[in-house]
Amino acid sequence: MNAGRMLLVALLAAAGAAFAQAPNDAQIAHIVVTANQVDIDAGKLAQKKAKRADVKAFGKQMVTDHTAVNKQAVALAKKLKVTPEDNPTSQSLKAGGDANVKKLKTLKGDAFDKAYVDQEVTYHEAVLDAIDKVLIPNAKNAELKALIEKVRPAIDGHLQHAKMVQAQLAK
Amino acid sequence: MRLAGTAAALLVAVSGALAAEPKKHTVTIENMRYAPAAIAVKKGDSITWVNKDIFPHTVTAAGKFDSREIKPNGKWTYRAAKAGEFAYICTLHPNMKGTLKVD
Repeated sequence: MNAGRMLLVALLAAAGAAFAQAPNDAQIAHIVVTANQVDIDAGKLAQKKAKRADVKAFGKQMVTDHTAVNKQAVALAKKLKVTPEDNPTSQSLKAGGDANVKKLKTLKGDAFDKAYVDQEVTYHEAVLDAIDKVLIPNAKNAELKALIEKVRPAIDGHLQHAKMVQAQLAK
Repeated sequence: MRLAGTAAALLVAVSGALAAEPKKHTVTIENMRYAPAAIAVKKGDSITWVNKDIFPHTVTAAGKFDSREIKPNGKWTYRAAKAGEFAYICTLHPNMKGTLKVD
């Protein structure tokens, strides 16, 4: 199973698990921070290893934007006196992210660019799905919910941006 | 007669000044969108883009105008010197699109 598939499965499992056991706010905060961190790690690698300028620029933007989101998430958790709580979804996300980075490190040039961008499309699709099906419906605190709602257009924008780069690569 | 002439001259001067008075417009950048996405202004007007997102953005019409990076809570003002219809994007998030029409 490739890393993209693994992340997707982790997030969909989280969506499925919502029926059995909904994540609490402390767990949601942890999922948000982990999901951002996974994309920051991949973005940092792309900044260093990508061949094409547009792929490099995309990676740089992911680092900038997801770092900004995490700054807000951490500040909010502090304000609400919520300690982000590790959970199976965060663990799967982290494992999937690490596997993705490990795989990307073995690739070079066009192969790296394609694998990274394909993964970014899959990842942002999965995150959007998790936001809609798990994170927003289960967030109890209004400010936490508002933060996730505020982040959603950025994830959607990144997905469209990733698809644009993907289309360029296919030419 | 002289009075009437002066009044007429004054009227022309006043209406001329009114027509030339440039307006100020604002476009808000929020939730990865320009609002309004399309704006129409008169030549000489100025438009200020205000970034209310937590991400940097740009207002860029290639070869026409470019804000460069507008930081969160930052703004950028452009004086519409040339007439035309300009499609612009955020170079950092190229899915963000806007149009500036200058008459």
